[in-house]
Amino acid sequence: MRILRAPITRRTLLRGAGTAIALPFLEAMAPAARAADRAARPKRLQVFYSPNGMMMDGFRPAGSGGALVLPDTLAPLAPFRDRVSVVTGLGHPQAAAMGDRPAGHGRSCPAFLTGVHVRQTEGSDIHCGVSMDQVYAAHLGEGTPLPSLELGIDQASLLGSCDIGYSCAYTNGISWRNATVPLPVTANPRDVFERLFGDGDALDPASRLAQARRQTSILDFVREDTARLSGTLGRDDRHKLDEYLEATREIEKRIQRAAASGAGDAAAGIERPAGIPDSFDQHVRLMIDLQVLAMQADITRVGTFMIGRELSNRTYPEIGVPDSHHMLSHHGNSPEKMAKLARINRHHMEYFAYYLKRMAETKDGEASLLDRTLVLRGSAFGDSNEHDHMDLPVVVAGGLVPGGRHVAVEKGTTMSNLLLAALNVLDVPATAFGDSTAPLGALTHG
Amino acid sequence: MVSKGWRPTIGGGVLAISALTAAASGWARMQAEAPVTVAAPVGADAADAPPALLGQFCARCHNDIDKVAGLSIDDLRGRDPAIGAHAAEWEAILRRVSIGEMPPRNRAQPAPAERAAFVAWLQNALDGYAAAHPDPGRATIRRLNRVEYANAVRDLLALDVDVARDLPQDNSGYGFDNIADVLSVSPTLMDRYVAVAGRVAKLATGVASPRPFTTSWEVPKDGSIRNSGRPAYNERSGDDLPLASRGGGTLRYYARRAGDYDIAGWLNANTNNETDRMVEDKVSVRVPLSAGPHVIGLAFRRRLAPDDSVQTLRNTLDAVPLPTAPPVMLPMDVLVDGRRVRTVQVPSYRLSPRYSQANFPRDVLQIDVTGPFGAGGAGDTPSRRRIFLCRPKRAQDESACAQRIVASLARRAWRCPVSADDVAPVLRVYAAARRDGGFEQGVAAAVEAILVSPGFLFVVERDPAGVAPGTVRGLTDLELATRLSLFLWSSIPDEPLLTLAERGQLRAPGVLDAQVARMLADPRADALTHNFAGQWLYLRNLDQQRPDIAVFPDFDVRLRQAMARETEMFFAHVVRDNRSVLDFIAADYTFLNQRLARHYGIPGVSGTAFRKVALDPAWHRGGLLGQASILTVTSYGNHTSVVKRGKWILDNMLASPPPPPPPDVPALKERADGRLLTAREQLELHRKNPACAACHVKMDPLGFALENFDAVGAWRQRDAGQVIDASATMPDGARFAGIDGLRGVLLARRDEFVGAFTERMMTYALARGLTPRDMPAVRRIVRDAKADRYRVQTIVRGIVTSDAFTLKRTASR
Repeated sequence: MRILRAPITRRTLLRGAGTAIALPFLEAMAPAARAADRAARPKRLQVFYSPNGMMMDGFRPAGSGGALVLPDTLAPLAPFRDRVSVVTGLGHPQAAAMGDRPAGHGRSCPAFLTGVHVRQTEGSDIHCGVSMDQVYAAHLGEGTPLPSLELGIDQASLLGSCDIGYSCAYTNGISWRNATVPLPVTANPRDVFERLFGDGDALDPASRLAQARRQTSILDFVREDTARLSGTLGRDDRHKLDEYLEATREIEKRIQRAAASGAGDAAAGIERPAGIPDSFDQHVRLMIDLQVLAMQADITRVGTFMIGRELSNRTYPEIGVPDSHHMLSHHGNSPEKMAKLARINRHHMEYFAYYLKRMAETKDGEASLLDRTLVLRGSAFGDSNEHDHMDLPVVVAGGLVPGGRHVAVEKGTTMSNLLLAALNVLDVPATAFGDSTAPLGALTHG
Repeated sequence: MVSKGWRPTIGGGVLAISALTAAASGWARMQAEAPVTVAAPVGADAADAPPALLGQFCARCHNDIDKVAGLSIDDLRGRDPAIGAHAAEWEAILRRVSIGEMPPRNRAQPAPAERAAFVAWLQNALDGYAAAHPDPGRATIRRLNRVEYANAVRDLLALDVDVARDLPQDNSGYGFDNIADVLSVSPTLMDRYVAVAGRVAKLATGVASPRPFTTSWEVPKDGSIRNSGRPAYNERSGDDLPLASRGGGTLRYYARRAGDYDIAGWLNANTNNETDRMVEDKVSVRVPLSAGPHVIGLAFRRRLAPDDSVQTLRNTLDAVPLPTAPPVMLPMDVLVDGRRVRTVQVPSYRLSPRYSQANFPRDVLQIDVTGPFGAGGAGDTPSRRRIFLCRPKRAQDESACAQRIVASLARRAWRCPVSADDVAPVLRVYAAARRDGGFEQGVAAAVEAILVSPGFLFVVERDPAGVAPGTVRGLTDLELATRLSLFLWSSIPDEPLLTLAERGQLRAPGVLDAQVARMLADPRADALTHNFAGQWLYLRNLDQQRPDIAVFPDFDVRLRQAMARETEMFFAHVVRDNRSVLDFIAADYTFLNQRLARHYGIPGVSGTAFRKVALDPAWHRGGLLGQASILTVTSYGNHTSVVKRGKWILDNMLASPPPPPPPDVPALKERADGRLLTAREQLELHRKNPACAACHVKMDPLGFALENFDAVGAWRQRDAGQVIDASATMPDGARFAGIDGLRGVLLARRDEFVGAFTERMMTYALARGLTPRDMPAVRRIVRDAKADRYRVQTIVRGIVTSDAFTLKRTASR
């Protein structure tokens, strides 16, 4: 039978993986390392999102063009000054009310990576659009064990605490596979770990190999048993079992890819997280570490990270801000509240700096991860007191685009133009995205 | 939306219901009482032509030229029904003519005796053909859906873990999620099944990792679409908590190893924001747990007098003042398997300097269990006792023991006797894993293999060698046993059922009946309530319902749970006590606790426990239509829907679904002449459009009759300042009012209702949509039930002894 033919090559491959496991992982096994040519290394995309807008006074650099001078909120990025571009003036026209109710978060957050005006609904008929990261993930196809990774710090809640008249899906995440399928964030580091490396019972190479062998032998058995069962079946029934076998084959491919990528080896040095750390600081750093690990092991090349869900009411007593973030963001021009809000903005920027640092110090062949990653960082509002969705705080970082500059674009330019240009940098031959009018040329030209 | 099948193909035009006249005329009753004995005055002389009655009363519209609703009498011959020709058309004619929907009321009508004779002749011919030509319909391979898979795992491995939550939701067809044709297999799905199988196999065999990790359980709370969560209650929040407890919650937790575990509660802060988990509000204790399943609980103690430091529950959107007294300490109990193992003192509130909209009593938002720390052994769990039939002391005994374990599990999992050849491939999986990790690891791998094997995941009914393709064969006892257990238990056969089937004794006299009775009395029959009734009655939608708490400030999680519980207990009671299915229309009892009784305005019920309550007719409850669950799922968040309720009754109680609205349907007009219109006025306007009237004349009166129940099922006399008018006029002009009148209408159409119930249950039992060929069986079951006071178990037995359930068409090659 056709279904019994395949296993030989797979076994060979797994044995190959077994012998290779003794070698240092990054140099010998990761597809990233196999390619000697730096230009042929995979390009990655990472998006870092912070909620509730930005105090633009502390964010907007003075002057524009080269010789970037970092204002206070951006000061933590100083070590990477040459690798970052600050972009101001972009907006999301699609986040405008257009006759819908005045609530802003429920529209601006989902527009951030999609450039789409969402349907105002709290029901299951949510409607947004594909997000830019998912366009890239689809473009990459099946090359990695996971097409993309969506991480966050706040656990999604489907009840309460969402924008009035808008489904929680609009503010819980920023990635959309398509207009109707939001991709939920994972907030529990243990869940992330299991997604990246399996259930984590097999962390050393020997037991990892045993696990792969066990799963392979189980899938072999499944094929054998299916052949036994399908002997006397009619056409419709055989079709259903074929579907099942096809699905089984897909899983085998994933196991192969995971074995070939040496993903488990990357996990070998890490303690499996027990759950969500009590401290925000530990939690954020752990999530960032896991993201870097996922890229380092080439488990995925696309990731988004929300340091807080939109409308987050988190308090930050550790930096002297015991007030709720969202409530502060409606500061009513109170100097005290504005100062506290700026402190939160800067605090988040410190984690973004940590993120860049981790990528910069992680080797990717001769270069670093940061060199081969396009990093976007932003919020869905500028001044949150006004729910201003037409002056967004954006930072672009990484070695794929020029850095060390402040790009002040003409007010009213849609952020979709930047997202389109970013897709082109990632070699996606897109000519339009969201409500784009043209790719933002300034992204790639000094 | 999935098509409800073939029925709507005829008569999509102007229809009329004349239930009252039909019932009064008596022929509807006769139809069920004397189905097969009436001579065929119309058919006998018209074998080669359409029956005279059809020619006389129907051909004016249903002819070759007009072909209204796609039907032409000219295509039909009097002999058709007796030879199985045009079954779909004849079944549709039978239905429309017998309930008086055809001919339309504004056309000439046959005399009652003439109609009755025609109906009897037609039914006789259709049923006679079916009896002589058994047709089991099309049964394809069926994948266990996630509920069945979870139950099967539970029963196979004695493992008390709900794995359904880890599997993706299944697609539905014909109103149920167990429909064979719809249950596909995608790589994403298989990925989940493989992952779950691996986890389950390790848990059950006790080889799961001893590394600690955290399991989190978010205690269900009512937030609301208006950001107005009400996270705290002054009542007991679960049956697993002490009687005098308040708030908190429980979580079913499976300890992989004996050891110490941290039980932590995240308490609410003094804000309505339920998403935040504040470290300052986390309380954690470390307790020892034995390996295996546990119920972990956290709860406060109920106080007789309200605590001064705690404001009363907020019942409106008004802000509640901040507390004026300092916090006091409240004892919070940590419970393991119902036993209080630790008490922690927590402040009655923590007023953070952050923004605060209101103040709530302390409650638990989330429970985390982390462990094991200092992991001990795998213990003597029910699963390990079930799996490890032998425990080899010497290496040379291992393979014989493994053989015994695998053969025993495979037999139950695959629902058939297994030979050494059958289990040899599983033993190879065992042997490979044994080499890598030892005996128990080997067995775990074998369990994992069985849980993803096609023989477990799929219901495959293989034709024996040598049968002719495309013919009808009887199911083997083993095949019948599996169909039976999936129907009644949503699970695999247990040992007694499997043994009977293996011995070929399942169809010995009285045995099948006894098995059905035994299975319905078993707790596993709860599956029939959750899966069949849960979908038939749309109860599963209750969780997604979001009543607006600004309009219904009393609505919360406990009320929502109580609503579902009433209907579940009511349905289960009718089934277990073998009551008449007419109880679903009207009953003088229901099941209530204090919360729900208060909602209904029924006195004398106190406490959180549910009990059977005798109903006073003045309370207007009794039967499904008086239950808040049904009334809520057929409403919108802030107002009732006459149309949704009417449609629900047509769909689920009369099996007479209206066709979907045309694409250009005009919206209801909310105002006219500058004045807001009532729902009744809006619909009256709507029905002036003939395209809308066709269906709304059927739906609206049924819904109007329920207008005394608001959108969460509470009784009301007024709405928006106006006195409710619950009167209704049927298309035939018959008038009735309120739920009591509606019950009368439905009881007059009881055979239609029992037929509808049988159709829904048969769809679920067969895991496929019904066809016209199934209708003779439905009628037979209704007749048998009628002769036995419409007892529900008679219907169940009728289904499991039907041709469709016990026979199978062999594969065509």
